[in-house]
Amino acid sequence: MGKEKLIPILALVVILVGGFSAIYVHATQVNKDTITINEEEYTIDQIFYMSDSRTINTSDGEKSGIALDDLMFKVGVGCPGCHEYTIKAKDGYQKTVTWDFIKNGILTEDGRTFFSEGPRAYWVRDVVEIEVK
Amino acid sequence: MNKMKFLAGLLVFGSIWGFSECIIGSHLENVGLPSGAIMTGVFAMMLMVTSRLFYRQPGMQLGMGIIAGGLRLFNPFVGCHICSALAIMAEGALFEIIWYKLSFDLKELKTRGLQASMGIITAYCMYVGGYIVTQVLTPLLSGPGFYIENLIVFMPRILASGLLTAVIGGIVLPATLLVRKVDITVKNRQYYPVTVGVSILCWFLVILNWFTAGV
Repeated sequence: MGKEKLIPILALVVILVGGFSAIYVHATQVNKDTITINEEEYTIDQIFYMSDSRTINTSDGEKSGIALDDLMFKVGVGCPGCHEYTIKAKDGYQKTVTWDFIKNGILTEDGRTFFSEGPRAYWVRDVVEIEVK
Repeated sequence: MNKMKFLAGLLVFGSIWGFSECIIGSHLENVGLPSGAIMTGVFAMMLMVTSRLFYRQPGMQLGMGIIAGGLRLFNPFVGCHICSALAIMAEGALFEIIWYKLSFDLKELKTRGLQASMGIITAYCMYVGGYIVTQVLTPLLSGPGFYIENLIVFMPRILASGLLTAVIGGIVLPATLLVRKVDITVKNRQYYPVTVGVSILCWFLVILNWFTAGV
């Protein structure tokens, strides 16, 4: 097949892949007001009521929220240092972190995680779940 | 082509690209526009296609990506600078791969339809490929490690996010190829002062932005 035919076909494939992916993302987006932590549902108010607050320094200035390590203790995670934690956003974005990361992390009132160390890729927006592995 | 002339061209085009990413990209992000799609679909595409047309040298766009990505590391105040730098470098490499089979005079892209199609393919693959590269390399280089399941569940979102860039690329490539009809000549004795001067200015402004944003 010549380039004159192949290039438009590939462009059409690209548009179809992008379009169907957009439809799939829209259809599977999670919309809920609670955050699942270790398979239990919590509202953001409950989380803020039961956990200690913390302020950390990030590359984007000071950020305040509840301490993620304290939250893990309060929701009853046994041996928290023995686990990894996957933080999931409502759009499907997720990042897995170790306990050392969790110890330097916070969850803000608008459902975003921040860490004092590591890249910004770990600042997950619209958190809907923290899975304990 | 003279090796020094090529290196000076690589330096100036890479610096303009890096400058655009740091300064213009940051402003676009601040006003809530899709900066990633615009930077890849408009700026990266225009600069890489133009440099390919003018210099006709293999490896130039990869070199531009390395220079632009390096410059992006000097502007750590907006967005994820490591992710962005990796994405820019990956875009340069992907452009080289996608355009490898095309001639340097682009005689294959005769019609507007073919040019738009090539723009769609190039912009989409660069954006999505750059995105995937950052998702793999950022956790490996500066995070707690790469987890394949995190990438797999996020793949539909990554594939969907390239759609706008593809549309932009489909418009920008035919527009950029119009420069073939423009006769731009720089006299030999002005070439090095212009290229080196513009490069220094780009780096100076980005580093100045770093200091002013940090205050």
